[in-house]
Amino acid sequence: MKNRIFTAGLVGYILLSSLLVYYFPQSVLAFLAFEASLLLIYYAPVSRAVKLSLAAATLVVVLPLIGTINGYYLEIAIQVGIFVALALGLNIVVGFAGLLNLGYVAFYAIGAYLWAIFGSSQANEFISGGYFPLSQAWFFVFLLLSIAAGALTGALLGLPVLRLRGDYLAIVTLGFAEVVRALVNNLDKPINLTNGPRGITPIERPPLFFQPLLEGLGVAVDPAALYPLYFYFIVLLLLLAIILVTRRLEDSPVGRAWKAIRGDEIAAVAMGIPVVRMKLLAFAVGASFASAVGVLFAAKQVFINPESFTFMESIGVLAMVILGGMGSIPGAILGATAVTILNLQLLKGLSLWLNALRQSGLVLTLPLIGSLDLSRIPSQFEPAKYERMIFGLILILMMIFRPRGILPPQKRERRFDPSTSLRTGKLTTGGDRGEN
Amino acid sequence: MALSLDIFLQVLMDGIVLGFMYALIALGYTMVYGVLEFINFAHSEIFVLGAFVGVEILLALESSGTLAALNPAFVVLMIILAGMIVSGLAAVALERTAYRPLRGAPRLVPLISAIGASFFLQDFIRLVESVWHNSFYLSYPTLSLLDRSVRLGAMVEVPFKSILVIATALAMLAGLYLFVNKTRLGTAIRAVAQDPDAAALMGIPVNRIISLTFFVGGAMGGVAGVLFGLHYSLVNPYTGFVPGLKAFTAAVLGGIGNIPGAVLGGLVLGLMEAFAASYLGILTDGAFGAEYKDVFAFVILILILIFRPKGLLGEKVREEGV
Amino acid sequence: MALLEVQGLTKKFGGLVALQSVDLAIEDGMIAALIGPNGAGKTTFFNTLTGHYRPDRGEIRFKNRSLRGVTPDRITHAGICRTFQNIRLFGEMSVLENVLVGMHARIGVGLADIIGRSRRFYARENQAAKRAMELLALVGLEGREEEWASSLAYGDQRRLEVARALASKPELLLLDEPTAGMNPSEAEGMMALIEKLIGVHVRSVLLIEHNMRVVMGISHRVSVLDYGEKIAEGTPDEVRRDARVIEAYLGLGKQADHA
Repeated sequence: MKNRIFTAGLVGYILLSSLLVYYFPQSVLAFLAFEASLLLIYYAPVSRAVKLSLAAATLVVVLPLIGTINGYYLEIAIQVGIFVALALGLNIVVGFAGLLNLGYVAFYAIGAYLWAIFGSSQANEFISGGYFPLSQAWFFVFLLLSIAAGALTGALLGLPVLRLRGDYLAIVTLGFAEVVRALVNNLDKPINLTNGPRGITPIERPPLFFQPLLEGLGVAVDPAALYPLYFYFIVLLLLLAIILVTRRLEDSPVGRAWKAIRGDEIAAVAMGIPVVRMKLLAFAVGASFASAVGVLFAAKQVFINPESFTFMESIGVLAMVILGGMGSIPGAILGATAVTILNLQLLKGLSLWLNALRQSGLVLTLPLIGSLDLSRIPSQFEPAKYERMIFGLILILMMIFRPRGILPPQKRERRFDPSTSLRTGKLTTGGDRGEN
Repeated sequence: MALSLDIFLQVLMDGIVLGFMYALIALGYTMVYGVLEFINFAHSEIFVLGAFVGVEILLALESSGTLAALNPAFVVLMIILAGMIVSGLAAVALERTAYRPLRGAPRLVPLISAIGASFFLQDFIRLVESVWHNSFYLSYPTLSLLDRSVRLGAMVEVPFKSILVIATALAMLAGLYLFVNKTRLGTAIRAVAQDPDAAALMGIPVNRIISLTFFVGGAMGGVAGVLFGLHYSLVNPYTGFVPGLKAFTAAVLGGIGNIPGAVLGGLVLGLMEAFAASYLGILTDGAFGAEYKDVFAFVILILILIFRPKGLLGEKVREEGV
Repeated sequence: MALLEVQGLTKKFGGLVALQSVDLAIEDGMIAALIGPNGAGKTTFFNTLTGHYRPDRGEIRFKNRSLRGVTPDRITHAGICRTFQNIRLFGEMSVLENVLVGMHARIGVGLADIIGRSRRFYARENQAAKRAMELLALVGLEGREEEWASSLAYGDQRRLEVARALASKPELLLLDEPTAGMNPSEAEGMMALIEKLIGVHVRSVLLIEHNMRVVMGISHRVSVLDYGEKIAEGTPDEVRRDARVIEAYLGLGKQADHA
């Protein structure tokens, strides 16, 4: 009964907030209210099945509908999805295994450049024959390739550095990312591999393989309108895959080994855990996620340059993981969503609002303070540019006041019941229980 | 371009100037690491703060028209002192707010907080300058005194700027050496670095000594900031990241926690970088040029950390118990 | 042939000689004890035996195989597992998960099994959980498997450490002060448990202990370390009467029997 009331309440909220977005397509607040519905679904005391179906309905049906009304929201959803995927990957490294990787963006860059170089005419610069850009179908091949490339570079970097103490490891990964960025920036000569700071464009997008099908159904296909939706669903699928793999790793000997290493490396090794190999695996898995997301990013942006892969991006993703709660999958999702929306919508909104105030030329007369000439708000003061301050504040405040994050990892509870579990071949996993 | 002697000497000079700059910044990393075993990632912003204090004072003097009337040596001395004090105090405040509450937490916790502080300070400086000057890219007004130079022999022309950097750095290093080794407070710093618990038992006020360490390290960073501004002229809130990382490299290169090591590491790195910047192009026939000098420094950092994390002067690393 | 044979084991820290040419042999089926005043080098001996420290000199042979230069995780695989004096459980994991970590190497599922959730994965994981539950029952922690390890009482944490070490199926179990901080009845329980393990769960036990009632009560052979040197060895009775042992303990003003 309680379940039904809450379900009805949730459905009502989702419909109401979507209507708000429909009637006020320019309102950031309406969209935030809609986004909050996912959080409500997560927290509502309803059964797992209800949660999953409501979340699926919201993500698969309602959000794309809203996106067709206002494409900007779809763009935001895609960017949020990309950062959620990155945060989930970094969460494996930092959250599960306790390795502070400050150069995570390097793997993202490797994936992005992998597709950018071969999915554009760039590769013609060093491979003759004019085979490039590769056809769009190769996008999916490169998505798979990038997983291998990411894992390989992650392991190659990890091999020499994973024996280092935590803080040194952090600095080495940071140095590695700076080297990668400098290489990307400078390898336009002697051989033009990356086209340097000018970046690479145009990059091929994934093929619209379902176009004939849609046309057969009598739907007029407009690629410009279709691609955002298409990318949205690719991101969603990629996210699903990442969440599935992450969850399965977490609930396995590997996940337990990671947590043990994070908790007490000496005890872990004394229990027979091959620490370096497990750390390497965490590094490689995290790197392969980032690399795959990079391919997607390159295809979506059509243009990439080294500016997208700075230290700030690494720290931004770290801030997302820490805000949500290290080692927590829901935490990483929440953290990435919150930070991305804060940056994309709230700070930009504030910038626009300040601009409007400035141009209004109003002079406010405030009691005690005196008069304030709004046109004299300094033009260099743009809230949208203060991402670092946001990231910095998140990191400091979380470390001091809530180091375990907003949604810290829950205890994995596994009720052992040989009579049922062995026969059904399923693990009997109870519901999550609160910490402590 | 040939490998001529005058170019060689010029590069040598640049390397030494750069090296002393790195050495001064590296002191802040190494002193704090010696006492707390913690990488003060925000030290690069303490350094930048010094540079901004210098430029703010010079700009204020310039706009009030007094800059020309004052003795330039006095002006330089004044901004160096101001940079020292402000950076030192900022480092103390930073420790109080962002690090002290995390004392005793796992090693990575204060490091993450320090990274946060670094980012926060970058944008905080930007915010203040944007509101104040409506610009956060500032350049040092020219001081005619510093644009002069002296000739050493027939080959080398040494700008006053370089002499200023080297002389100031040497004075600072000598002062620091005397302070750490010959005064009671310096002894207390060394005692805390060796064993904080034992130091506390001996009645040393450990918290105050840690604050003092941050002040001294921050002050050295502040001097470096002012010198950086006077030498290279342009500063912005994000200037600190790369020199900071390189100075940290220098500290590790010399043996982190080791004060003479930081100086040695700074000089070695500065010279290597200067020579790499000038000669990489020649050696590789133009394929790789000066743009790789940063890569060069970071590769050294990675290699040192992997193969000789104790650094050149191999300082003790507290053994981790089982 | 002895299960474990240590010859001339020497370990120095800078100028300090923590272990000076220590010999020790542990026979099959034996409960051996290592005693000595604080700082005598007992825990250093454990740390060197399990590969956490690299010995400066000497030879360690386990089942007639040299353990020199073998990493700690491989030594655990070879069949030696330990507990820690200053309890090192994984506090942010449940009691059951702690034991499962001890089984890490023995579960035998690959990445493909884990990500594909193969039949084998479920079978092995359930098997592991079942054995973990048995071990928890053995040490008297049945019904506690879902609690956080850090929330257990001190004595329970010590018992959990034993269960976690047993999970790796060791042949030689090293216990570092297994009854430290326990009340007399808990200590009795631990003694009974240790005796129960021999021949069933492990072949031999080597324990470091300060509680002389435990040492004298269950060990077959006692070795005494003082300043890194083995000063005596024999049956509990022989050691109790050894003049050097009495001196070592009394010389430090320590009560030999502070149980």
